[in-house]
Amino acid sequence: MVPERLQDFKLKPLKCELNFLSKSDGSAILSQGDTVVLASVNGPLDIKTTSQNIEKATLEVLFCSKEGKPSVADRFKENVIRNTCETAILGCLYPRTGITLTIQELENYGGLLTCAVNCACLALINSGVGMRHVVAAVSCAVNEVGDLVLEPTQQEAESARALLYFVFDSRDKNLVTGFTEGTFSEDTYEEALVRCRLASDFVFQFYRDVVKKYSNVI
Amino acid sequence: MAEIFKHIYPSKYFNDYISRNVRPDGRKFDEHRDVKVNINAITSADASAAVKCGNSTVVCGIKLELAKPKAEEPDTGFLISNVELLPLCSSKFRPGPPSDHAQVINNIVSDIVMNSKCIDLKDLCLVHDKLAWVVYCDLVCLDYDGSIVDACIVAIMTSLKTLLLPSVSFDAETEEVKVDTSARLPLKIHGLPVATSFGIYEHIPRNIVLADPSAYEEEMCGGVGANLIVCWNKGLFCGIQKFGGSNLSTEDEKRTLVLAKEISKLVEGVIETCIKNDKVK
Repeated sequence: MVPERLQDFKLKPLKCELNFLSKSDGSAILSQGDTVVLASVNGPLDIKTTSQNIEKATLEVLFCSKEGKPSVADRFKENVIRNTCETAILGCLYPRTGITLTIQELENYGGLLTCAVNCACLALINSGVGMRHVVAAVSCAVNEVGDLVLEPTQQEAESARALLYFVFDSRDKNLVTGFTEGTFSEDTYEEALVRCRLASDFVFQFYRDVVKKYSNVI
Repeated sequence: MAEIFKHIYPSKYFNDYISRNVRPDGRKFDEHRDVKVNINAITSADASAAVKCGNSTVVCGIKLELAKPKAEEPDTGFLISNVELLPLCSSKFRPGPPSDHAQVINNIVSDIVMNSKCIDLKDLCLVHDKLAWVVYCDLVCLDYDGSIVDACIVAIMTSLKTLLLPSVSFDAETEEVKVDTSARLPLKIHGLPVATSFGIYEHIPRNIVLADPSAYEEEMCGGVGANLIVCWNKGLFCGIQKFGGSNLSTEDEKRTLVLAKEISKLVEGVIETCIKNDKVK
């Protein structure tokens, strides 16, 4: 496969504001295209003894959808975000404590989960919790013809044959989390993985820019 | 002595085994546990299967009901799956409403069945906008010893493959429904999705991939839900899922995909033979 250049990729425009909330330890509001998510991190905090872990910090994730009604799909999203962020956080630095991460969906025009993971990561950076690496989520759709579309819009996602979501770490670009919808061939999967891995560089660069912008203010 | 050591230093105990290229239960890294399938374990259900993958045991029972299709999709029936992880199967689970973990497992199982497109929901519709089958697939875990999604998929697919739908006559004028349970037809199934779980153990110099991890191995590999689950159906992927846990390098990932293909072929063979043997009887 010919290695593609970074400029060939088009991700949705990213806009972010850190310290959006005054009372939380870290917060970020992130928009990817028209999708907007707000995340807040509190911790390390005292939590009840039953959920304490003597080895590492317990990460609690709460995902609030726009409708406000909790559903099984929300539990699934929480699970994805919790497991992803748990690998990123250096939990062993804060044993017997809890870190709570609250995510509020504000606008959903497709790519909600990738936006939520990226926003959660930015909020964690802002909170100053020790981290092994940062994570970047990129999604990809396979359309009816079989072509790959990075960061699909809602219409593209609805008509797609398959949707693939990947989260990479910033150190070796290894796969942290990945999950898929629909059916696809092995070659498609490999190609999507390579493309998303390259595109994740954009997100990491964006993280750097955001932190640089805020570093003399914090 | 070894048992005490395991309780005092759980990670070291596990690590000692892995450094000697063997797993605590004597398997090789890429070796999976034996799969046993028993069809029609529950005679009162419309279709059922009991599956054992190593010690993990799952029973699936299917119940049929008739209902009116949804107004927005008047040509589709319903396939509803429910995974129950009761306190019976492991000390990890408490009585009460379904835990987050059970909800996530249920979500993964129903996603795999839906994504594989092995069942066309339109086949479940009997009369446009009037009558459709509701297929309730209840999965109960009896013994939780890791790789529960694999066992659930085998159980649900075996039950669906043996499911016979009774013939139904519908009078359009009186809206009277007659069900004839003596004449039954099998449900059309396209392919046979099989899921394969892998645990990824953080190890220096490189991470180790363990096929079909047991509950203890899952715990060592980053806790429940950190498995890599690969699902094949008719030479296509219908789900590759990994939520956190240890990171996976590109070479390891390619190897697991190949391994998953081999294992899924074997499991497919088990299911097919079991159904064939049942028909002979």
